Amino acid sequence: MADLVTKILTQGIGEKNLRDIAVYRATGGYTQLTRAYTELSSKDVLEITSGSNLRGRGGAGFPTGRKWSFLPDNGRPRYLVCNCDEAEPGTFKDHMLLEETPHQIIEGILLGAYGIGSHHAFIYIRGEFKRGYEIFRDALAQAREAGLVGKNVLGTGYDLELTIHRGAGAYICGEETGLLNSLEGRRGEPRLKPPFPAIKGLYGEPTVVNNVETLAYLPYIMKNGPEWFAKVGPERSPGYKIVSISGHVKKPGNYEVPMGTTIRQLIWECAGGLRDGRTFMGVQPGGGSSACLFEEHLDTPYDFDSVSKAGSMLGSGAMVVFDDTTDFVKAAYTLIRFFAHESCGQCTPCREGGHWIEKTLARLLDGRGVASDVEVLISAAHQLTGLNLCALGDSIEPFLASVVKRFESQFRAYLPKTGVPEKVAV
Amino acid sequence: MNGHVTSDGPDVGVPDWMPGVHRPGNVFDEMIARLAPEVDALVAQYEDSRSALLPMAHLYQDHEGYVSPNAIAAIAYRLGLTPAVVESTVSFYTLFYRKPVGKYMLQVCRNLSCMLNGAEEIMAYFRERLGVDHLETTGDGLFSYEEVECLAACDRAPCMQVNLEFFFDLTKANVDDMLAAMRGGTFPVKPLVQTKPPGRSWHVVQEAGKKSAGGVGVVDPNNAGGLGDRSGIIMLDRLLADPSFAQRTHERAAHEPNLQPNEEDAHG
Repeated sequence: MADLVTKILTQGIGEKNLRDIAVYRATGGYTQLTRAYTELSSKDVLEITSGSNLRGRGGAGFPTGRKWSFLPDNGRPRYLVCNCDEAEPGTFKDHMLLEETPHQIIEGILLGAYGIGSHHAFIYIRGEFKRGYEIFRDALAQAREAGLVGKNVLGTGYDLELTIHRGAGAYICGEETGLLNSLEGRRGEPRLKPPFPAIKGLYGEPTVVNNVETLAYLPYIMKNGPEWFAKVGPERSPGYKIVSISGHVKKPGNYEVPMGTTIRQLIWECAGGLRDGRTFMGVQPGGGSSACLFEEHLDTPYDFDSVSKAGSMLGSGAMVVFDDTTDFVKAAYTLIRFFAHESCGQCTPCREGGHWIEKTLARLLDGRGVASDVEVLISAAHQLTGLNLCALGDSIEPFLASVVKRFESQFRAYLPKTGVPEKVAV
Repeated sequence: MNGHVTSDGPDVGVPDWMPGVHRPGNVFDEMIARLAPEVDALVAQYEDSRSALLPMAHLYQDHEGYVSPNAIAAIAYRLGLTPAVVESTVSFYTLFYRKPVGKYMLQVCRNLSCMLNGAEEIMAYFRERLGVDHLETTGDGLFSYEEVECLAACDRAPCMQVNLEFFFDLTKANVDDMLAAMRGGTFPVKPLVQTKPPGRSWHVVQEAGKKSAGGVGVVDPNNAGGLGDRSGIIMLDRLLADPSFAQRTHERAAHEPNLQPNEEDAHG
């Protein structure tokens, strides 16, 4: 239903040229930034953000205001980095925001940077988003010309620089410490935590890394007040969320809804339901890293806590829907291959585990499976999690584990029909 | 060239990774000189110059079609790093091509949402039409073909990028149209710069060998040898920090005929 979709960040997309600063200003754009620069202190912006209970939209769902409040007051330079390295399978919301409403992101970044008292912010844009980068670069030039970014913004004496940094094709750079290493000109390998970036981040200084969507909500929270956001949806994970829905649905796309909308509503009312004559088999509710949910979970409210309680996670807010034509062995193989390919190689369980599961699945798909393969896949699923520096290693198994349990027969069907070997011939 | 041109003297005895010495007719050095102002602007954006490593690699790749050994050396020289560290960093990122590639880099998404919407068929069709496999370049040097991970355009699956421009809702018919347009020179996307004819693959190490996969591990570039011994790096750092190094190398080379480079080396 159309009334489920509430357009905040997606307002005007497809109708107006929001890449033009004049058009963005006509919608009320940059008034909150101007207000912050001229009337509010950094502390005011931090308090408003904390009051909204906004939780990070990049995947981990950490409360944004709390993240900011961890920065030590040590007089050192501090940095805000906007994470636009969107590469989680199934997620395409930041891509759309970057290309359609770059000024909204700029305003959000500058508000965030002002809120933490930073004088230098960065945006890390995924290398593949070349067009998005060009659009953002041009928008930033307009904002600079308007005196909103650079030295002495709007004559207030406050300096705030914003630098664009392009990635070059590495999923792991979406992990915040991998991103910081990449921004420092290093391999995008995640760092050991603690220390967390809030204490020791970019160039060893206190740093906040926030997702595009998280920051883009700031101007609206500033405008409407923190209660406006905090009172939408469940108390502990409030506000609005852009959900990227794809896979076997009639109308794939980005839908901005209040948190707590059910998965069923999202699939059938927003994305038009399944293709005709097909039945629902499962949905991955939070990107490639999340476990599959099934029919019994359809009435789960779509918010951080409810989706976790159902045994999966909200992640980046990407739903991939599966109908009865899905080969779950191939689907699992596709995702495992992805994680094996994107592992940075630092931690053994992730580097080796991903590749070995990929090899086992490839063998099974190739009709060369052995009797123990399905058991190995079931048990391997629990040997990776919690043993790695970052969340990538922990993301390998949830989907496989959930579908191998549910659709074990599909996996067994790939074993050779006759003469299944006990072991692999050496 | 930003203070890095150390000599116009004879081109002798300077290691390959020291690009600051002007070699008559060396196209690459002319490119470095031409791009120096842009590089300075990139470096000036950051508190630490090393942050300019990725932007510099992007810049050189835009002009040379790939990140050549000369580009690696130029980055190392400009940022005060060793070539090994730059090499190790650049090779981490799949969008930096380490050898020349085709004029059209075709990157088809192989991830979940595209697979659910027929990507397998599209990929098989590309392989058949081009006569190449994943990570290979066609014999005429026109197309490089790669199957890549999620491109964040799942609502328009199956999707792909051509020279990093998006194409959506792929069918066999529009694949045919695209390839015909690229061959006929009417394709709306600018071809990549191609300063050298490409070989079969643009990867220095094949995908499977890149990480362990039951084989070798990954070496820490800051800890060569794995024992915490940084002497080699410190030595190179000193050499790079020493402005008289190239001059001394010249003088030394003048007395050592063995150090005369052959024709091939001089042109990278």
